[in-house]
Amino acid sequence: MTSTPFDTVAAKGRAQSSTRVRTTDMKAVGEPNLWAFGGALAFGCVMILGFLLLVFWNGVTTFWPKPLIVVTQADGARVAGEPFRAEAFRPGPEVLATLDPATRKVIADDGGLASRSLYRIGNYDIYNEDFRWVSDFSVTDTATPSGMMFIERLEWGPFIGRIQGVTIDDQERPALVGDRAGLAAAHDAARARWRQIRHIERNLIGDINHRLESERLAVRRIAIRQGEGTPEHTAALQRFAETEKVLQAEYAKLAADAQALKAEDARTRITLAEIGGAEKTINLSSVVRMYPANDLDLMGKLAVYASRWWEFVSDEPREANTEGGVLPAIFGTFVMTLLLVVVVAPFGVITALYLREYAKQGRLVAIVRISVNNLAGVPSIVYGVFGLGFFAYVLGGSIDGLFFPERLPNPTFGTGGILWASLTLALLTVPVVIVATEEALAAVPRSMREGSLACGASKWQTIRNIVLPRAMPGIMTGVILAMARGAGEVAPLMLVGVVKLAPELPLDGYFPFFHLERSFMHLGFHIFDVGFQSRNSEAGKPMVFVTTLLLIGLIFIMNISAIVIRNRLKRKFAGSQF
Amino acid sequence: MVRNSTILAAAVAAAIAAPASAQTLDPALKDYKQVSGVSGSIKSIGSDTLNNLMTLWAEGFNKMYPNVKVEIEGKGSSTAPPAMVAGTAQFGPMSRPMKSAEIDAFEKKYGYKPSAIRGAVDALAVFVHKDNPIQCLSLQQVDAVFSKTRKGGTNKDAATWGDLGLTGEWASKPISLYGRNSASGTYGYFKEVALFNGDYKDSVKEQPGSSTVVQAVASDKFAIGYSGIGYATADVRPVPLSSKTGEKCAPANAAAAYSGDYPLARFLYIYVNVNPNQPLDPVRGEFIKYVYSKQGQEAVLKDGYFPVTQAIAQEDLSAKKLM
Repeated sequence: MTSTPFDTVAAKGRAQSSTRVRTTDMKAVGEPNLWAFGGALAFGCVMILGFLLLVFWNGVTTFWPKPLIVVTQADGARVAGEPFRAEAFRPGPEVLATLDPATRKVIADDGGLASRSLYRIGNYDIYNEDFRWVSDFSVTDTATPSGMMFIERLEWGPFIGRIQGVTIDDQERPALVGDRAGLAAAHDAARARWRQIRHIERNLIGDINHRLESERLAVRRIAIRQGEGTPEHTAALQRFAETEKVLQAEYAKLAADAQALKAEDARTRITLAEIGGAEKTINLSSVVRMYPANDLDLMGKLAVYASRWWEFVSDEPREANTEGGVLPAIFGTFVMTLLLVVVVAPFGVITALYLREYAKQGRLVAIVRISVNNLAGVPSIVYGVFGLGFFAYVLGGSIDGLFFPERLPNPTFGTGGILWASLTLALLTVPVVIVATEEALAAVPRSMREGSLACGASKWQTIRNIVLPRAMPGIMTGVILAMARGAGEVAPLMLVGVVKLAPELPLDGYFPFFHLERSFMHLGFHIFDVGFQSRNSEAGKPMVFVTTLLLIGLIFIMNISAIVIRNRLKRKFAGSQF
Repeated sequence: MVRNSTILAAAVAAAIAAPASAQTLDPALKDYKQVSGVSGSIKSIGSDTLNNLMTLWAEGFNKMYPNVKVEIEGKGSSTAPPAMVAGTAQFGPMSRPMKSAEIDAFEKKYGYKPSAIRGAVDALAVFVHKDNPIQCLSLQQVDAVFSKTRKGGTNKDAATWGDLGLTGEWASKPISLYGRNSASGTYGYFKEVALFNGDYKDSVKEQPGSSTVVQAVASDKFAIGYSGIGYATADVRPVPLSSKTGEKCAPANAAAAYSGDYPLARFLYIYVNVNPNQPLDPVRGEFIKYVYSKQGQEAVLKDGYFPVTQAIAQEDLSAKKLM
């Protein structure tokens, strides 16, 4: 670089100006610090925004219907599927040896690099793989032909191919193959029948099974209390036999109904053909959703998109959590966080009140305070171990022995459950509430307390009417922080009650309605499970983003509502002070 | 190792010719028939390899008996025996047979041994990146790659891909090792069979789950790792293996697993607490029957493992007096 006269002048000017600045000390102005702080803030914001955008973008696009591409390869093999992702790679010498010279030259000109695309080909029952890489140099033709269907099934994942035939009530109906509206109507009818079967099996038969089980437990309870062979036990056994007979009759009737419906259901079938021609006939009712991916207009795509989201938030998971929805996980996360708040708020506030208002400020209180602060720094998995050892095994084990002996050796409370999980998280987050509450109490001016006491109010009246209302916004902030931490925590939960599959929600229609002993599903664990435990991690990746988006959304909503409640309270107490 | 695969081969080949194609069920397997009066709860704690399969079984079983509560946890085979001894789980899926110490602990508590059912066949696969050209590995080579003690009899450590016979850009590249954590039954089985009870190298990166191993290999071009065949994706390739250097390598598929040619074929077990002097309660009995039914073994296919035959089903069911 050559230096021009202009550069020299400019450099001189800079030198002069910098000497001028140095006359007032840099440190005193604080300019570099300001830049450092501002830069750190900006960096943090960019990181958070980038993370949110990444999750949001990947989550939002997952359910959007993609076109189905049919790729014809040089050897005549055809692959049909959704394009998933593409990458550049360096074909090895053994791959290059199989190619013709022209292709080899193209690859060599590109510096030895070629590209390939991953297609989601579905049809796992036929191919035994659901994704396939296709090297771009082997492709002779790509097309998006009309009539290619993407068919989501209850089992075996999606089917990609064409509809070959439709049979309704054992009558072949070739007209329906091309008639989308007619097929949709037939599909709706089949799905309605499927839901009816599910209703009978799950709700009606489930009810009978539930009654049977509680009767059986009642007999066992009598056997344990009164001893086997006693008159009470014999009478109970007799009663049980009678009830069982009645229930069995009901069961037989319902089972016959379900069987008849199933037989009817099996008469409505759809025959599908994959791109190579292999055919597969399945019940129409086992098709969750089907759409001609290449013939959809914007409205059609939006409809598919909306219906997929609705299924995701309102349905139960299928196929080892890789498909279907996450309703049980949403519900589990929500209930657990609520329970956590119910436990942590009173405990934290009472502790802080005692520490700040009643306890004599001495060495002991200082030690307690330090311990509380240190509790906040203990790794969460340690709480998980404590929760499992103390809550589940010790507490839960004794509860089982005292109250549920008839269910042993199957543990009721003696294993992880939503109550123990909430209590463990409450322990984990209670320091946050204590510290926040103490700060809030300390911020109430001394003059106000003294005024109240001078007016003749007792200490408790002062706390109740003067101190607590003033401190309430601060306390609420602590509770919100505790909630935010608790809702996002997963590690300790894995030990105390979160499971991959919990078929029953902790809340249902059977007495006592709230089943605190049940294991539950959690969105955070669901993310871990789908991303790192599912059979096909490739298919799991998009679901990870969707579930993450949902978890962030859920925590956001819970925090926002807590903040709104806090602001309401603030206004209310602000008005009632004078 | 020889013991394991011969037992497996013998068991499968004994009564019925092994299924010809890789993906068919033994036609002798029976359809599952619903019975009445089944309710209660099932809790399963154990293998991560079997985690998805247990879930699929549970989903299918739940379809039959909507009010049976099935809960599943899968954090490694070693978590199964303590959970069964403590009584927190009725089923303990394990990807390796129980050790005698574990059986003793169980027997001390209950007075009888736990029963094992063989629910599926797995070909424990050695995965490499999809671009890796390696065609065949003997167990001795695998041992040289993964083990620092090399009890398999090779005296040369395999640190680079060149040591395994690859040329070109691969020759000088170090092998990046991935494996399972020590709670895993897969870890134990691989150590016993492929490492000839030797010790793993310290450089093996231990992963918490079967799928994590596959994902790690998929994102690392020079990696090698072992995991259940059911977790294979398009980004990795299972390497054909032979039990001795110089022998023909067998691919990790159903036929080779059944015939015993594939040296890392193994049964996947589910341990159950069955008191031999009492009838098995209906929930557990029906669940076992479901596992051995056509529907149950179809779930095995769905999860990427290989189904067992009716002969095995018969043997295990009659041992539990369920047939």
